[in-house]
Amino acid sequence: MFRKAHTLMALLLAFALVLTGCSGKEAGSEESGSKKTIKFMHLWPAGSSKQQNLIVQDIIKQFEAENPDVKVEVEVLENEQYKNKIKVLSSSNELPDVGFTWAAGYLQPFVKGGLFTSLDDVLEGGLKDSFVPGTTEAYAIDGKTYGLPLELNIAPIYYNKEIFKKYNLEVPKTYEEFETIVKTLKDNGVAPIALGNKDRWTGSLWYMYLADRIGGPDVLTQAINREGSFEDPSLAEAATEVQNLVKADAFNKGFNGLSNDEGKSEFMNGNAAMYLMGSWELPNLTTNEEVPQEFRDNAGFFKFPTVEGGKGDIDSWVGGPGVGMFVSENSKVKEESKQFVKFFVEKWGEQAVTKAGVIPATKVDTEKVELPQLYIDVLNELNKSTNLTLFADVQMSASVAETHLNLIQSLFGNEVKPKDFTKQHEEALAKEE
Amino acid sequence: MKTEAKQRIPSVSVDNRLEVFSHPAMQKASKGILYVILAIVAVFQIFPIVWLFLFSLKNNQEVFNMSPFSIPTDPKWENYAKVWTEGNISQYFLNSVVYTVAAVILTVILASMVTFAITRMKWKLSNLALGLFMVGLMIPVHSTLIPLFSTFTAINLVDNPLSVILSYTAFNLPITIMILLGFYQALPREVEEAAVMDGASLNRIFFRITLPMTSPVIATAAIINMIYNWNEFVFVNTFISSDQYKTLTVGIQNFIGQYTTDWGAIGATLMISILPILLAFLILSNRIVEGIASGSVKG
Amino acid sequence: MEKVLSDKRIITLYVLPGLLLIIGLIYVPIIQTAYYGLMKWDGIGAKEFIGLENYKTLIKDDIFWKTAYHSFLLAVFSALSLIIYLLISIVLAGKIKGADFFRKIYLIPMLLASVAIAQLWLKIYHPTNGILNTLLGSFGVDNPPSWLADPKIVLYAIFIPILWQYAGFYILIYYAALKNIPESLIEAARIDGATAWQIALKIKIPLIMNVIKVTIVLAVVGSLKYFDLIYVMTDGGPNGASEVMASYMYHKAFRGFDFGYGSAIGFFLLVICLVVTWLIRKLTAAKEEITY
Repeated sequence: MFRKAHTLMALLLAFALVLTGCSGKEAGSEESGSKKTIKFMHLWPAGSSKQQNLIVQDIIKQFEAENPDVKVEVEVLENEQYKNKIKVLSSSNELPDVGFTWAAGYLQPFVKGGLFTSLDDVLEGGLKDSFVPGTTEAYAIDGKTYGLPLELNIAPIYYNKEIFKKYNLEVPKTYEEFETIVKTLKDNGVAPIALGNKDRWTGSLWYMYLADRIGGPDVLTQAINREGSFEDPSLAEAATEVQNLVKADAFNKGFNGLSNDEGKSEFMNGNAAMYLMGSWELPNLTTNEEVPQEFRDNAGFFKFPTVEGGKGDIDSWVGGPGVGMFVSENSKVKEESKQFVKFFVEKWGEQAVTKAGVIPATKVDTEKVELPQLYIDVLNELNKSTNLTLFADVQMSASVAETHLNLIQSLFGNEVKPKDFTKQHEEALAKEE
Repeated sequence: MKTEAKQRIPSVSVDNRLEVFSHPAMQKASKGILYVILAIVAVFQIFPIVWLFLFSLKNNQEVFNMSPFSIPTDPKWENYAKVWTEGNISQYFLNSVVYTVAAVILTVILASMVTFAITRMKWKLSNLALGLFMVGLMIPVHSTLIPLFSTFTAINLVDNPLSVILSYTAFNLPITIMILLGFYQALPREVEEAAVMDGASLNRIFFRITLPMTSPVIATAAIINMIYNWNEFVFVNTFISSDQYKTLTVGIQNFIGQYTTDWGAIGATLMISILPILLAFLILSNRIVEGIASGSVKG
Repeated sequence: MEKVLSDKRIITLYVLPGLLLIIGLIYVPIIQTAYYGLMKWDGIGAKEFIGLENYKTLIKDDIFWKTAYHSFLLAVFSALSLIIYLLISIVLAGKIKGADFFRKIYLIPMLLASVAIAQLWLKIYHPTNGILNTLLGSFGVDNPPSWLADPKIVLYAIFIPILWQYAGFYILIYYAALKNIPESLIEAARIDGATAWQIALKIKIPLIMNVIKVTIVLAVVGSLKYFDLIYVMTDGGPNGASEVMASYMYHKAFRGFDFGYGSAIGFFLLVICLVVTWLIRKLTAAKEEITY
């Protein structure tokens, strides 16, 4: 008898639990009373991106105070999960009213599928001028802008001043000098460059810079947008140079199996002397208390050196806007959402760099804000830049980007010849035309 | 009979050990070797927990720079504080427990019923039914996400805990049935058949005889289900959007950033989330052995 | 008795709830997956019907067949490793002292989430300061391999944590099955003078044969659709050297925005699993006759 009672209890419990599940539903997304609800998804969890998360909360609070009839409901997911969920939501036409997107190639299918709404009207009336030129353009398709960027990054080569001093090395101006540095460090048993190429876009940065310095700022971009061809000799030459670096043991051991986090740690713990990465790393080199003060004091950066005989100049950068905000075309609260995005971008620009160390895509007056010197230097370089080439995998459509990234890994692993590397790119790009 | 069986065990246990080598000295030596091997494997199996604990006390610098088993000079207990104060961890915890328990109970009962009907009852389509359930093993989770989401949207279950519980149940049913199946087939039918002769109803037989008799395998299946559900995050992330319905696994996500990840805090989250399941495992795991005692009635 | 045991009402009552759940949440998605597989679809915009085009591409897709080969290798290793798990379980289920303690310890890694297991093994395999290479270094190995970066090694390197991750699962099942064998049977054999080895081979294993068959199917099917650790530890790289069918499907559908093709892979994977399961059942059915 006891056994039966036991089982029955279990069954009852199960049903009770299921029922509590059901009854919890009403608290969810329904519009409560006359209040309108904007659903907003972002990718700055409070744990890992505390400052960003706080700013978001703060902006929402202000927005709700100014618009008492609107409520903003937030969902936070980390990067990878965020992308997956957006994908699933899109397929059922259930996107949030406001969310984050990436530029160019990522954006394309969403716009083509009619899921994002044009934000041109938001940009009118002065907002457009507050953006750094070229940033909103990365979110434009057929002349209409579908996303407002929040971040702007460039990728310098960070270096460890102490190691450089120890081996009497100077910041290189030319690629030849750079190669000498690599050799000197290598001969002294120091890993010259930290790289985690499991993530693949990390290696792509090296390739992109070499392509820029050898072939000039347009050759890669034009190959991707089909004004040019990927079989341009300079693109193959850049690939050869990458393999020369690999052959010279320029990168830390096993880089193709290491994540960016692991690769970065080689630089952060002083095993490797240089690290090519976006300016989003600046907090780790300036304000992050977890990183030893001594290390932060010794961190500097330099611009990717010029290649002799190459067409690129030293003030041309790889970088560009990071995440941007979109408004869903099918949103029931489209107007409110647009207002929110406008409000958000403005408020974000005011505090992103000072509070979270994120360089916003809106203009920052370096005179007015108090920042660590390294930030000021990077911001000044940004103002001086002659060209910004958007990360290749962002420029490309999703499927070409996959091909590109895999080829990058093969290139660094010496598994593909430079000729085939460019040929396979060309084929993948041509297929999409 | 039951007590008799129990009493017998100690008396035979002496000649019950590995008898590959009959000579006593050899026997002793081989037993020694066996224990050494067992101990080595045990160390190997316990070290992940030790590692995880040490991991949870480090910051990123230490996670990557120090050898995995080094003890951090300045243990970062604040990782735990960070995890515990950040977000609604107690709510997530409760949700994890509710989803896991509900889905485990539902799965085990439904799977037992199906297995009972398939192995004990006589009907033409039983093999087909079994086949239908087995197909459920074979579909990769990621190709079901978009269809499942659209299904849940259609029946208005998105952002409802029920979507998660039902998904867990549906996706674990096949494997649970498979596990139960092997046992049901090996189980003697005499007791049940005798009960039928006595005129007991099938419901009665199922609940009062079969379920208790299979409690070791139920415990086994429950452990496996529990582990799967507890650590699952793809369904939760996809079907749930309200913070109030999310589970402990979002605690891990919380520390993954766009460009940097706080590994120490992730370690602390993993450590916190493994404790309840470890406890449940130890309790259920005893059930496997206890179950044998009651199961031996049939022997 | 026949009549009682073929009571349609009870059968329906017992099978239907489970069946409905499976149909609603597994079959409907399978059918939809099959349907999407006939479409050119990025998962966002409009679907375009292209018939069997995706499947034609799939048949000719060298990368897919490479990933299929990787998955099959994993399946073979998983099935073979069952022998080890069975041996361990037989030892643990015997009446050695401390068996209960060992059993519990042995199953602990099973409790860990994949994230934790992945992190642990990344630390083991780290090319410079990983546990494995540090150990090899202390034995005087000069240039130990970069386990996860070398395309020739990575696949096997990643199989080890996968097999290890599932050890507890199978040990647990075998253990429960072995404990379920009536003591009297073993007792009788022992009185007849059978050795422990003979008892294991002639009595224990045949008696749990049904469970063993089930585990073979689970191991093989589970391997064919395996995803987790591959995704976290290598992401299928370097350049596909450790890619398996499920991760390839994920990359195509979610990264490459080719949901039509991804669905075709998913559906094809299901068909492969069905065929393989059918084969296993055929093969093990023959085996049964030999053992008994």
